[in-house]
Amino acid sequence: MTALLKLRGISKRYGDAVAVQPLDLDIFAHDFVAILGPSGCGKTTLLRMIGGFVAPTSGTVEIDGRDVTRIGPEQRPTNTVFQGYGLFPHMTVRQNVGYGLRLQKKPKAEIADRVAEALRQSRLTEFADRSVTALSGGQQQRVALARALILRPKVLLLDEPLAALDLKLRHAMQDELRRLHQEFGGTFVFVTHDQGEALSLANRIAVMNAGRIEQEGDAETIYTAPATRFVATFIGEANLLPGERKAGQVKLEAGPSFADAGADEPVTTVVRPKAVRLLRAEEKADIEISGSLTEVVYLGDHIKCVVAVSDKQDVVVHLDVAVAPRPVVGEHVRLGWSIQQQRVVSA
Amino acid sequence: MESRSNYWLVAPSALVFVALFIAPMAFFVVLSFWQVEYFELSTEPTLANYRDVFVNYWRVMGFTVAVATATALLTTFLGFVFSFLARFRAGQWAQALLFIVLITLFGGYLMKIYAWKTILGNEGVLNSALMAMGIISSPITSLLYSPQAVVLTLMHFSLPFAVLPIYASMRGISDAEVEAARDLGAGRWPILSTVIVPRCQSGIVAGFSFVFLMVGGDYVTPLLVGGKITMIGNLIAPQFGAQFNWPLGAAMSLVMLLAAVAIIYLFRFLVALGSRP
Ligand SMILES: Nc1ncnc2c1ncn2[C@@H]1O[C@H](COP(=O)(O)OP(=O)(O)OP(=O)(O)O)[C@@H](O)[C@H]1O
Ligand SMILES: [Mg+2]
Repeated sequence: MTALLKLRGISKRYGDAVAVQPLDLDIFAHDFVAILGPSGCGKTTLLRMIGGFVAPTSGTVEIDGRDVTRIGPEQRPTNTVFQGYGLFPHMTVRQNVGYGLRLQKKPKAEIADRVAEALRQSRLTEFADRSVTALSGGQQQRVALARALILRPKVLLLDEPLAALDLKLRHAMQDELRRLHQEFGGTFVFVTHDQGEALSLANRIAVMNAGRIEQEGDAETIYTAPATRFVATFIGEANLLPGERKAGQVKLEAGPSFADAGADEPVTTVVRPKAVRLLRAEEKADIEISGSLTEVVYLGDHIKCVVAVSDKQDVVVHLDVAVAPRPVVGEHVRLGWSIQQQRVVSA
Repeated sequence: MESRSNYWLVAPSALVFVALFIAPMAFFVVLSFWQVEYFELSTEPTLANYRDVFVNYWRVMGFTVAVATATALLTTFLGFVFSFLARFRAGQWAQALLFIVLITLFGGYLMKIYAWKTILGNEGVLNSALMAMGIISSPITSLLYSPQAVVLTLMHFSLPFAVLPIYASMRGISDAEVEAARDLGAGRWPILSTVIVPRCQSGIVAGFSFVFLMVGGDYVTPLLVGGKITMIGNLIAPQFGAQFNWPLGAAMSLVMLLAAVAIIYLFRFLVALGSRP
């Protein structure tokens, strides 16, 4: 299968500042892709190069086999939901949604039908003849989505679509986006700095940092097998244990060592708090480490324990709330995890 | 909601409005139905002044409306182009461009008129340059003292009054709106006609109105660069001075005012018509 959207060596420089380093990215039809990264890492710039609003300094953008690098947004088979929505305040909801079809000079009856259908799908029918300025943030968001989706874009681009909404509405809109993606069957690419949002919506995630894509893959791989230290820390909680690899053997500063193929270099071992177990007296694990409990916090769905395994190193453990007996602060404990549940990345 | 009893808070501004706008206007209306006979003001109501306006002065009135409309249309167009460039194309230079527009306001009215006299006159900059280049052998005498010279000078004078309201309303258009329009398939012209013009309707109409009213009431420019050209202002002013016929002056003013209101409403209607989604 060939990719629907292909970025090749694409980059953007503003003067001396590099917003996006040359990078490649393939996006396949029907994917729901998150471009995830911290503020200022170049997510918006990347998305705008796909949409045609920013001319890349180098590289090409190919959509459905056609090179669109030099083509403006008005001629690209993409549509965008902007961060500020960019709704037309001089038009009603209905007129906003029908804008693209009117530009295409479709017959009036067809426009009316398709707009009515889009309004129904986005549950906007009752607001159809209101001015968009008289809508709540969530409703405006739905108008922006309907206005873009009605043109059946090959790729729908969304820039931080949920950032402006409060938490409750954000969850409702997440469900809405997921539903629209299923009903519409298109390809969605959205930018976010919220890892939870990326994990819950996207089936593929591209993690960006400082203008680079550090890892691209399905959500589970990104979470369980982070390729870099940055990816490990940016997505979910992680324990980072520094160490040194020599002759296929990693020695952690905190004590344990284990076999691991790779070049001789300083490394970081990443292990998720949920993967760490509290070992009972005679219990064995691939990696074992001990220390004293400095913190036990009940968090509703799990218990968070912090174990000081050395002067400089803490290990966070998430325990099931049913654990008995419940550990107490000051206790000396042994921790362990299996080799499959850790990742060794370059430091 | 505020309670009703707070309406008295607008009383001071209402008072100023009545004293400065409504009262003089009402006085003018009443005055225009009186008449001056043998330097005596007769308060017997009569339509004689209006008959006079429509019989003897309709040519000047029509010419004035034509000059004012042409000037206002051209200036509004220029003001729109200027505002567009400042808002959407100039980037960081936008402030500088606007500053230039504002600074020309300080130049004053007569300065501009004399500037155009020096440019358009028989021995003016333009004629001298054309003759020096050998394009013409004798000066084009019709440059100055012509309707075109009047329109040109008035345009120069009134351009800032068109730019400011139009630019102000263009600033209200977010970049995201324009980008959304492009994204949804709008090229250059559709963006202008479906987003930018409709979004600054009020600014365009305000700019047009300012220019039209200023030009319609002007009586200095025609005197200085218009030669034999007479605008209605040239006839109204003396009625309140040498001619001492205030009622006729009032009638002329009111007819001109009504014509102005009609033209402005027509313009507004046309802009709204062209801005329908
Ligand atoms: N028009 C521009 N001129 C100069 N520098 C720019 C421009 N646009 C973006 N940049 C810079 O490029 C870098 C990436 O910006 P971008 O907007 O893509 O970041 P982002 O990942 O979307 O951040 P955020 O999450 O804060 O929106 C930033 O350092 C920014 O300052
Ligand atoms: Mg951004």
